[in-house]
Amino acid sequence: MENILLKDNVAGIEAYVACGGYKPLKKALGLKPAEVIEEVKKSNLRGRGGAGFPAGLKWSFIPKDSRGSRYLVCNADEGEPGTFKDRELMLKNPHALIEGMAIAGYAIGAGRGYIYIRGEFAAEAQLLEKALAAARSKNFIGKNILNSGFDFELSTHRGAGAYICGEETALLQSLEGYTGRPRLKPPFPAVKGLFGCPTVINNVETLAAVPAIIEKGGDWYASIGNGKSAGTKLFCVSGPVNKPGVYELPLGVTFRELLEKSCGGMKPGKKLKAVIPGGSSTPVLTAEEAWAVKLDYESLAASGSMLGSGAVIVIDESQCMVKLLEVLARFYHHESCGQCTPCREGCGWIEKILNRLEEGKGSAEDIDTLYSVADAMKDRTICPLADALALPVMSFVKKFRSEFSAHAAGKTCAGSQRIEVRE
Amino acid sequence: MPTLTIDGQTIEAAKGTTLLEAAQQLGIYIPRYCYHPNLSVSGNCRMCLVEVEKAPKLVTACSTEAAQGMAVLTASNKVKAARRDVLEFLLINHPLDCPICDQAGECGLQNYYMEYSLAKSRFNAADKVRRPKRRAVGPYLALDNERCILCTRCVRFCSEVTKTSELEVMERSDHSYIGLKEGTALDNGYSLNIADNCPVGAFTSRDFRFKQRVWFLKKTPTVCLGCATGCLIEAQHNENVIYRLTPRPNAETNTWLCDYGRMTYKAVRAGDRLTKGVIKNGQIDLKPALREAAARMDEARRSAAVLGSPWLSVEDNAALARFAKDALRTENYCFDFNCGQGIKDGILINNDPAPNTSGVKPVKAACGGITLTELSRRIAAGRIKAVLMEARAAALIKDALKAAGPRLIVFAANTGEIPAGAYAALPYASYFETPGTFVNYQGLLRRTKPPVEAPEGVKPLWAVVNELASCSGTSLGLDSVEETLKGIYIK
Repeated sequence: MENILLKDNVAGIEAYVACGGYKPLKKALGLKPAEVIEEVKKSNLRGRGGAGFPAGLKWSFIPKDSRGSRYLVCNADEGEPGTFKDRELMLKNPHALIEGMAIAGYAIGAGRGYIYIRGEFAAEAQLLEKALAAARSKNFIGKNILNSGFDFELSTHRGAGAYICGEETALLQSLEGYTGRPRLKPPFPAVKGLFGCPTVINNVETLAAVPAIIEKGGDWYASIGNGKSAGTKLFCVSGPVNKPGVYELPLGVTFRELLEKSCGGMKPGKKLKAVIPGGSSTPVLTAEEAWAVKLDYESLAASGSMLGSGAVIVIDESQCMVKLLEVLARFYHHESCGQCTPCREGCGWIEKILNRLEEGKGSAEDIDTLYSVADAMKDRTICPLADALALPVMSFVKKFRSEFSAHAAGKTCAGSQRIEVRE
Repeated sequence: MPTLTIDGQTIEAAKGTTLLEAAQQLGIYIPRYCYHPNLSVSGNCRMCLVEVEKAPKLVTACSTEAAQGMAVLTASNKVKAARRDVLEFLLINHPLDCPICDQAGECGLQNYYMEYSLAKSRFNAADKVRRPKRRAVGPYLALDNERCILCTRCVRFCSEVTKTSELEVMERSDHSYIGLKEGTALDNGYSLNIADNCPVGAFTSRDFRFKQRVWFLKKTPTVCLGCATGCLIEAQHNENVIYRLTPRPNAETNTWLCDYGRMTYKAVRAGDRLTKGVIKNGQIDLKPALREAAARMDEARRSAAVLGSPWLSVEDNAALARFAKDALRTENYCFDFNCGQGIKDGILINNDPAPNTSGVKPVKAACGGITLTELSRRIAAGRIKAVLMEARAAALIKDALKAAGPRLIVFAANTGEIPAGAYAALPYASYFETPGTFVNYQGLLRRTKPPVEAPEGVKPLWAVVNELASCSGTSLGLDSVEETLKGIYIK
């Protein structure tokens, strides 16, 4: 099928408009805001940032009687290890995002939007700025958009390099100029978000899907994919496959199809050992589990993992699971905001145990401690960062215990390939 | 008004009540570190996690509002496990230096470990995160970052109560620490509240450190006399020595206590504490000093004056009034004090530096006397030969004293208070050593309860006045503190 999001040669505004771009915005502006929300609800579009919350429903949570400002924020702080889809999308199709935001802004009654973009994405931010200027010059954003009476101002804001700012309330803190630390919920952003006002925060991929939904209808979008997992999804495949990269496929596609058809299979001589299906914070699947799984919200949940951000990390037999987990732990230890006790103390503790195991200085007891520390972190913090390390740890230990035991016994590593981490 | 059950007990909670507060109303204690009733909720320590039936995860009792039909469990196995785990996390990087930690005995980590954990430590010394220890931060506080559990009560206190925001959580993850913002010092007039609020030994009082183990301290509820606010306090003492003053939070007057007020106990054992009489700058025994003072007052008689003091209790002012009327039989006495009272810093410190301006009014009502302006006028005009008063009250008539220079006979607890040129000074027991009645700026009655005894031979001011009168042959009949209040009507 034809791609909805990842299209070639539409990065410029002329090309985008030539392909029918910004017509959906015009159409939406002719509808009532509630009708736009209804269409998005009908489409079954769900949050592509990782949690999979229905987008239309989220929009409808803005209190109808709220006075004063409302905000729309795009979460472009793509930082989940293994994920590189939003970046690709913003590079290739920035106007789909801008148009999607203008439509969403209209639907929720927001006059102001922000694209909070990961600090490291300097070139992408520049490109977005250019696209915003172009859209502004054609009155697709700004005052009285297309003579509809609707004003929507939109700008980018670059992060300062914290993974935690991808968590929506930490993002809001950062956007307000504070240290990026997640807020207590409730109140949820829909009630009390940016600068204390009702706010909707959506992922890049979610918002970029909106123009097509308005253009072709919610029913059309809902018909793509697999039941409740509607539409297409960007999958970012990394690891020893022949063609790693970003692929747009309908939800419900099998892992086998993604790996073999889109990615051209494993690299010669490499045998699949495990797959992290939805970004580094999702539980790992064994090769056997992966071969059987469909890539959508429900199927992956049923297999004990998550669709997450759609970052499919492929692991082959030559890789050491202990080392891999150590790399993950180092990341989460570094990125924990330090607010909640279990995450602040747990992430570092886990990393240290893994350091010991990896260096062959660990014990069998360490493996149990590892698991119990992760268990003690899970579900007990303000935001899901603790879970983002706890879940991989628990699944790695459960599914690949023999490798951990071999390390604890001081034997040679099951995987021979060392992973070098750049400082 | 939502109705819910907590551990099987039903409670109807006011709208907006949190689970922690509702439990407290039922007498169920939920352990907490970051929660403080007078600070905003931060919900980060995770110690107060409780189970709500049908909720997918444990919730923080400090931040979750009571809702209709909730069934809350505060002691289920899941909750107990969570508490044990949080304690283990808090302790894993803790220095465990309890033997040399001043917080020992009143430490949230020690107490909760005993109550909720007792788990075997999986602590590995090599894994421990190290942080800066014992730094002086400001004049009153020492900070040990290694003991800190990052509950952020201190940060919130500085941003919400004093609004000075000197403290912030620096860095992140397990290398985060409480730090002073660049270019600031922790000296906001209320800094010792941070040591009180700190549930562990991270912030300790530089004044109190290493002076006394807290389990030896006895606690006496009394009143701060640092200004007209009249904060309720607790004096903590052992073997007749006061070691620190802490607030007794109450709805009417104070949650906190200012640093100035906290240090007022130091005068009791200060080097300049007056325990003998002073005549012309030379210390002599009390008896001859009393006789000399009485003789000089006798000499002046009707041209003698008596000035009350807003720093003295109602009882002591009343005794002075009796002395003027019944012993000296002079008309030159004044118990007329006025000061624009009110909180000047938005927190606790009063415009009126004296604790009993309001409390002297009943003495004036009962005994009459002249106004302060009139007394000043008479002194300046040279009509007054001798003045008997409390040392600090001299400041109220200082211009008149300068103009005329009558003989000054003062009551002083510390020599530092004695005005220059005073002829005689007589010691008296401070209100940490003798009970006294005060009325604060709100008109609330405040009675001090003495935590310690006065130095040998030092008596309450009213008793010294009584002796002074007997020296000149008058019996005032002030045999007890109750006697002084006869005829005085305090609202």
